[in-house]
Amino acid sequence: MTPELVTDTNIIRAEGITKRFGKFTALNDVSVSFPRGQLTAVIGPNGAGKSTFFNVISGAFPPTEGRVIFEGCDITGTPQHAFARLGIAKSFQITNVFPELTALENVRIAIQAMHSRFDIWTPRGRLTEMQEQAGDLLDLVGLREHRTRHAENLAHGEQRALEIAMALACDPRLLLLDEPTAGMSPEETLVMMELITRLADERTVILVEHKMKLVMGISNHLIVLHHGELLAEGTPDDIRENDEVRRVYLGQGSH
Amino acid sequence: MSGITLDLLALQLFTGLALGSVFVLLAVGLSLIFGLLTVVNFAHGAFYMVGAYVGVFLLGLTGNFWISLVFAPILVGTLGLAVERFLVRPLYGRGIDYPLLLTFGLGLVLVELVRILYGLEGVPFDTPPLLRGAVDIGIGYFPLYRLFLIAVTALLVLALWLFIEKTSYGLIIRAGARDPEIVRVLGVDISKVWLIVFAIGTGVAGLAGILSAPMRSVIPDMGSTVLVEAFVVTVVGGMGSLIGAVVAGLLVGVVVAFTSLFWPDFSDLSMFVLMAAVLLVRPHGLFGQKGLMG
Amino acid sequence: MNKPMENVAEVQISGRRLASLVRVVAEHRVAAVIVFLMVFPFLAPYKALAIDVLIYGLFALGFNMVFGYLGVLSFGHAAFFGVGAYGTGIAMVHFGVPWLPAIFLGVLASGFTAMVMGAMAIRTRGIYFAMVTLALAQCVYYIIYHMEEYSGGEDGLTGVSVRTVDLGIATVNMMQDPMGKYYIMLTFAAVAIFLFSRILNSPFGAVLEAIRENENRARACGYNVLLTKWVTFVLSGLFCGLAGALSAIHLSVVPIEYLHYHQSGLAVMMALLGGMGTFFGPFIGAMAFLMLEDVITLMTTHWQLFLGAIFMIFVLFFPRGIWGSILHWISR
Repeated sequence: MTPELVTDTNIIRAEGITKRFGKFTALNDVSVSFPRGQLTAVIGPNGAGKSTFFNVISGAFPPTEGRVIFEGCDITGTPQHAFARLGIAKSFQITNVFPELTALENVRIAIQAMHSRFDIWTPRGRLTEMQEQAGDLLDLVGLREHRTRHAENLAHGEQRALEIAMALACDPRLLLLDEPTAGMSPEETLVMMELITRLADERTVILVEHKMKLVMGISNHLIVLHHGELLAEGTPDDIRENDEVRRVYLGQGSH
Repeated sequence: MSGITLDLLALQLFTGLALGSVFVLLAVGLSLIFGLLTVVNFAHGAFYMVGAYVGVFLLGLTGNFWISLVFAPILVGTLGLAVERFLVRPLYGRGIDYPLLLTFGLGLVLVELVRILYGLEGVPFDTPPLLRGAVDIGIGYFPLYRLFLIAVTALLVLALWLFIEKTSYGLIIRAGARDPEIVRVLGVDISKVWLIVFAIGTGVAGLAGILSAPMRSVIPDMGSTVLVEAFVVTVVGGMGSLIGAVVAGLLVGVVVAFTSLFWPDFSDLSMFVLMAAVLLVRPHGLFGQKGLMG
Repeated sequence: MNKPMENVAEVQISGRRLASLVRVVAEHRVAAVIVFLMVFPFLAPYKALAIDVLIYGLFALGFNMVFGYLGVLSFGHAAFFGVGAYGTGIAMVHFGVPWLPAIFLGVLASGFTAMVMGAMAIRTRGIYFAMVTLALAQCVYYIIYHMEEYSGGEDGLTGVSVRTVDLGIATVNMMQDPMGKYYIMLTFAAVAIFLFSRILNSPFGAVLEAIRENENRARACGYNVLLTKWVTFVLSGLFCGLAGALSAIHLSVVPIEYLHYHQSGLAVMMALLGGMGTFFGPFIGAMAFLMLEDVITLMTTHWQLFLGAIFMIFVLFFPRGIWGSILHWISR
């Protein structure tokens, strides 16, 4: 296997990804590249295989066939816990935080994972640096005043923001977000979208969404999945004018 | 020389199947309760023991083995019903370990109650006259009672299989649903299914108990070794799998039987060696899945 | 399962004197436990109870690391207690090792047992863990049962006796001076309690809590959950091994029952009774358990009936345990 050059403009590539669950094929030979530094959205109707695709490239489970290449290295089958150190962070479709820890502790422990995982001796009180960093991240996502509240007591939108703060703890080069606005009110959605746009300035962001309108305005690049296969990819304009996409989403073709 | 050894091996195989039959009954009950309710019944050995003692009681009352054989599991199942309804059910909303802990405490209570009623010494349970003696099964003489045991187990497994495959209750059990929403569609009251499953699971354990009674000493502690054996079989076969329970039960029985032929000092360790091997190679058990019966 | 109530600073406490006393105690928990244990022999109805509370408190403490803090139920901890006891006893009786190094050997042996058992059990899904650990511990039971030459088989190991302990400034007659014996054992327990608290308060301790709260999330953050669980299991085994080692010396015998799963059940019950995931819970649970046992066995031989019933009542109505319920009540 020839080593890939890191001058690759694509930060992560999926090559021939197929995923089967028993007899059901969720993804069929999906090959797609994600440009570095861009905000790419993976869209498609419900059941298109978006979540499965997300899970494969974010390391939740390996593909049945195919490879995932990140910055030139084959990371197919890498265990989930190694992803943070690779520089890939994710948020979950269903809010996934540490419910009875404070917001600050949620983020602090995410930061700690990058520094110290088996230290059984140092008293935690001495780790003030991490506390400060956690505070800074909470600032970034607008949760400063909620830092001492238990995560389970935060509003839904606030919990989603907390997850983003936790994802940022490992200073990821690639941020993977699975339906970050799910269950949010319109106001919360706006705030989240604005946050994501800000984050996309510094990092590569891959977003999974099924609400097309939401992502059209902010994405640089779109990937459309349908029935587990790649339907189309391109800029928002390309996708808007794509007949097949319109047919699938809107039930109409152009003549 | 080898002819005798072969026959001996074959006979030992049958001994293993008889031993395995008890394991099958225990594992099936345990897996059934776990598959639907996600409850690891730490009182399973106690229900087995209660089955034996209820058998003793009924035999003393009626003098008839067959009546005792039919009604002991029913009575034990009824106890199981009450246990599910009043003790286990309140805990479903909490963490997964709470029903387990409760059944552990229940086991202590059941054993002590039996000690109070029947004392610490063993109680005799005679093999019914009809099933005494040995039968020539072609390769040698084999105890008739053990053949009976194998036959009853096979019948029960068949009945259970039919119940699970052919009825709507069985459908729910297979789906492993503890979510009332999914089940309401089928028009069945989920709490009834919980009751039934717990009753059948414990009832089968009680059946194993009364079936074992003629073969071993009926003492209050008889359930504690059996609980370990049931767990080992379940780990080998895979939790929540009916096929796994049957295959693993028979496999463990046969392994123990052969080990007691060649290395009798280590026959009690043999099942653990098997379990260790399975744990290393397939931690979910031979047929283990995600809590589904099948 | 239950969250540790020790982060008292974050809990809204009413400004009552009792509440601030609890706060002070919680912040100096190691000192609080050790001071209490130093005073305990004078409060206890009789000395042997004090030593039992020490030993079983330590057993429950070690167990609580896995059960209360990591949130995983193991039913195999009898193996660690038993191997610690047998390791110490066999070293002394069959190899003439002096008691102090023998204790270390016992602890090491139980640590090793935990490494092997952990490696085999850790990949099983949460709910199976209790079953698998029970079965593995029972395997250890049979192995040691069979080593009759060393372990004494069914009769257990006898003759684990320490007559005198020479401390330089004083000599303690272990056979005739229960108070002296208690304080020597307390020294070991105190060191263990300090180390335990240190571990819980470390970054590693934070990881345990995170895993208990949400294992998948911890994994996504970058923690190797399997490895962390295994390490926790081994650390826990070391503490329980020490408890077993002390027990061997205390009783001068090691009964085979130490390896039976009922012994594992004792740890579970004491931890729950006292309060899972709390620092004081294990010792309070051990104390409550042992005192209750004493009182009830005076009146009847059917202690197990009451024990089982009381345990079920706690599981159903007081899952926080004694100390956990007190903390919860205070924080309102």
